[in-house]
Amino acid sequence: MQASTRKASSAILLSLMLTSTALTACSSSNNGSGGPSPSASPSSSASAPASESASPSDSPNAGGSVYPIKTDVMLTRWLDSGAFSQQLAVTPKLEDFPFNKELEARTGIKVKYELPAVNQAKEQLNIMFASGEYTDIIEWNFVTGYPGGPEKAMQDGNILKLNDLIDKYAPNLKAYLAAHPEVDKQIKTDSGAYYGFPFIRGDDYLMTYGGPIIRKDWLDDLGLEVPTTMDEWYTMLKAFKEKKGATAPLTFISTPRLFDDLQQGLFYGAFGIKRDFYMDDGKVKFGPAEPGFKEFLTTMRKWYAEGLIDKDIATVDGKIRDANMTSGKSGATYALAGGGIGKWLTAMKEVDPKYDLVGAPYPVLNKGDVPKFGQKDFAAPQGGNFAISPKSKNPELAVQLLDYGYSEEGSFFFNFGKEGEAHTLVDGYPTYTDPVKENLSLNLGLYTRATGGPFVQDKRYYEQFAALPQQQEAVKTWGQTDVDKHQLPPISPTAEESTEFAKIMNEVNTLVDETTIKIILGTDSMDAYDKFLTKLESLNIDRAIEIYQAALDRYNAR
Amino acid sequence: MGKRAERTDWGLFLRKDWSRNKLLYAMMLPALAYYLVFQYGPMYGAVIAFKDYSPAEGILGSPWAGLSHFKDFFEGFYFERVFTNTVLISVYTLLFEFPAPIVLALLINEVRSRAFRGFVQSVTYMPYFVSLIVICGIVKDFTNSGGIIQQVVASLGGADTALLQNPDYFRPVYVASEIWQRIGWESIIYIAALSSIDTEQYEAARIDGAGRWRQMRSVTLPGLLPTIMIMFILRMGNLLNVGFEKIILLYNSSIYETADVISSYVYRKGLIEFDWSFSAAVGLFNSVINLALLVLANYLSRRVNQNSLW
Repeated sequence: MQASTRKASSAILLSLMLTSTALTACSSSNNGSGGPSPSASPSSSASAPASESASPSDSPNAGGSVYPIKTDVMLTRWLDSGAFSQQLAVTPKLEDFPFNKELEARTGIKVKYELPAVNQAKEQLNIMFASGEYTDIIEWNFVTGYPGGPEKAMQDGNILKLNDLIDKYAPNLKAYLAAHPEVDKQIKTDSGAYYGFPFIRGDDYLMTYGGPIIRKDWLDDLGLEVPTTMDEWYTMLKAFKEKKGATAPLTFISTPRLFDDLQQGLFYGAFGIKRDFYMDDGKVKFGPAEPGFKEFLTTMRKWYAEGLIDKDIATVDGKIRDANMTSGKSGATYALAGGGIGKWLTAMKEVDPKYDLVGAPYPVLNKGDVPKFGQKDFAAPQGGNFAISPKSKNPELAVQLLDYGYSEEGSFFFNFGKEGEAHTLVDGYPTYTDPVKENLSLNLGLYTRATGGPFVQDKRYYEQFAALPQQQEAVKTWGQTDVDKHQLPPISPTAEESTEFAKIMNEVNTLVDETTIKIILGTDSMDAYDKFLTKLESLNIDRAIEIYQAALDRYNAR
Repeated sequence: MGKRAERTDWGLFLRKDWSRNKLLYAMMLPALAYYLVFQYGPMYGAVIAFKDYSPAEGILGSPWAGLSHFKDFFEGFYFERVFTNTVLISVYTLLFEFPAPIVLALLINEVRSRAFRGFVQSVTYMPYFVSLIVICGIVKDFTNSGGIIQQVVASLGGADTALLQNPDYFRPVYVASEIWQRIGWESIIYIAALSSIDTEQYEAARIDGAGRWRQMRSVTLPGLLPTIMIMFILRMGNLLNVGFEKIILLYNSSIYETADVISSYVYRKGLIEFDWSFSAAVGLFNSVINLALLVLANYLSRRVNQNSLW
């Protein structure tokens, strides 16, 4: 009897176990088997047959220019929702954004948006490619975000080569590129292929929007000038700590990458380097392999040891930085004119009327030097990031939809939205309406696509977006660098080179990040630097530099 | 001897079994289908570990790459480190987290008040149902400088810096949070097993003069042992599967040294770089090792105390 009860209970147990393993197996996405995932939803929701859907006329010229287009086709469009998280919190569907509704009315093309889960865009894009269920339009930076670059993406059959389609159905983009050869160069591959529609910054003024930011009211209290050299920065941070009680005088974001905020060359630049690749007189260099990197580490290590840098610097994210900058914990950081200066000044207006910020120049070593690096975008900062899937049943329609933003009317609409709703013309100047201005960063996303999209961005948007005098001033200060001479253009290694390059850089990046933070935090001694150099060599960094050099040479020859 | 007799009766046994348990088999069908569709079905995809997979060409069409992905993995600069970290984190978890729910179950079993039992159980389950992202956010907030744990450390004279910036503390933080998160949930199965122990055995033990401690040692634990062994064997089959989700939510480059495990490394390298074949190769390698460990643990357990999965 004893035995039988045991048997029964163990049978129950076993069944319990089975269900529990079934559950866990379900939750922990299993190893690498590339099985189709249910999370990617089917793409081609095109209801009408292709014959009906085709462009209104067969003549190439008229192809893109007669809007609205008569069609019943519904295009699908995939994009990283990160840029719209603020808007999606208010209006949960992109289809319901006033801008998108009006765009549909104007172009005549219905669009269904598909959004990946927040912060998982890359994985989900990966799944979309692996599952073969593509949307018609895919918004993605294929230059930096696709290993092997756009050329490889086309070769893999993930995006379409657009040369013929642009030729036939995108007269507006074609005209713009003909008038702006430097943009044309940025959105082509080495072989001359177009792979996507670009977001274009239509003016130099729009290309700089981030840099070092300092508490102006503290500087004034302490009788200090805005610092320009590393020594002045040191003095200032020390004063912030000792006289202002800042516990983390200098703070900056370190996620998702270590020292994410310094990628543009802040502090590194004073020692003539950058965290990544750059060029000196047309020669490609990798910052951490240069002697300047050691000086950078030495300085930062000293600052950290003296408590001038945020103690938690390896884990600071945007939320923490906002808190630090508005609570008096920190007095200096790197941020954007909008998301930094604008945001914090607005937030502190009531709390502390004295609170003030200033955009500081990128620090240099010797007074009077021109900073070598700084944040500056390309005219087409993401290359051709509005791509079309090879599985699309209506590629020409997708091209026509995308081309709208480069027409005069379309571009104006992308920048300023619908007249009367998003803007009114004041003496011919498109001025955002008061309701829109109330929360500009939210409403620009709802009523316009001024912050980024397939169109030519207008200077007049930024004049109103960064309207505070502090912002205007900061953008001017940040713009004064030699970055044009040292920043690598958007080059693209060949597909084979890319694989090799990615393999090398994956391990190099782990090594560099780890060495950087451990030396600065003091976990490792300065001696670790020499070991680092040997390791860097053995990881074949020279080959990576060679690959980039070749790509740069090809770019210059485009 | 007895085995042979069984074998001759096999057909008869099957027929009898079928007529008696038809319904049970029917109930098993969905689970079976689940395994076939989601576990066995995708297995053929593992073949991409030996190919240079590209979605455009499909699984069958992609060119063969031989063992090159395995070679890349084993010869990788950080292979040794991520492998050691994976094993160490697993072993520590096994050592500290695995016994925790057993102890909790034993403790709960000794509690008389039903209300208190229910309360303790609910409180300990709760973290299991909180999303991992939130759990990791809480852990980070607690261990950052100025966080609650760090305030305690600082008040005892320690340094107030983020724990997760020091490679020495990653494993303790990981294992401790693992215990916190799973202890309640995992104790359920033990509590269930405990309730099936015959109360007559306790009575007999009491008559023989055994105190509570003695009862626990001589009645409760032996009764629980089969369950513990089976859970242990199952756990062995997952030894190399340290999930990347929790790791990548907690780690940063200053603690790669102790925190970077196979799955997080593959995540950085394979998924982010769109290198499906490489990820598949590593997954396959993991599975083979896990299977070997499972078989080994099962064999040992059967030899030592006759408890085994098969």
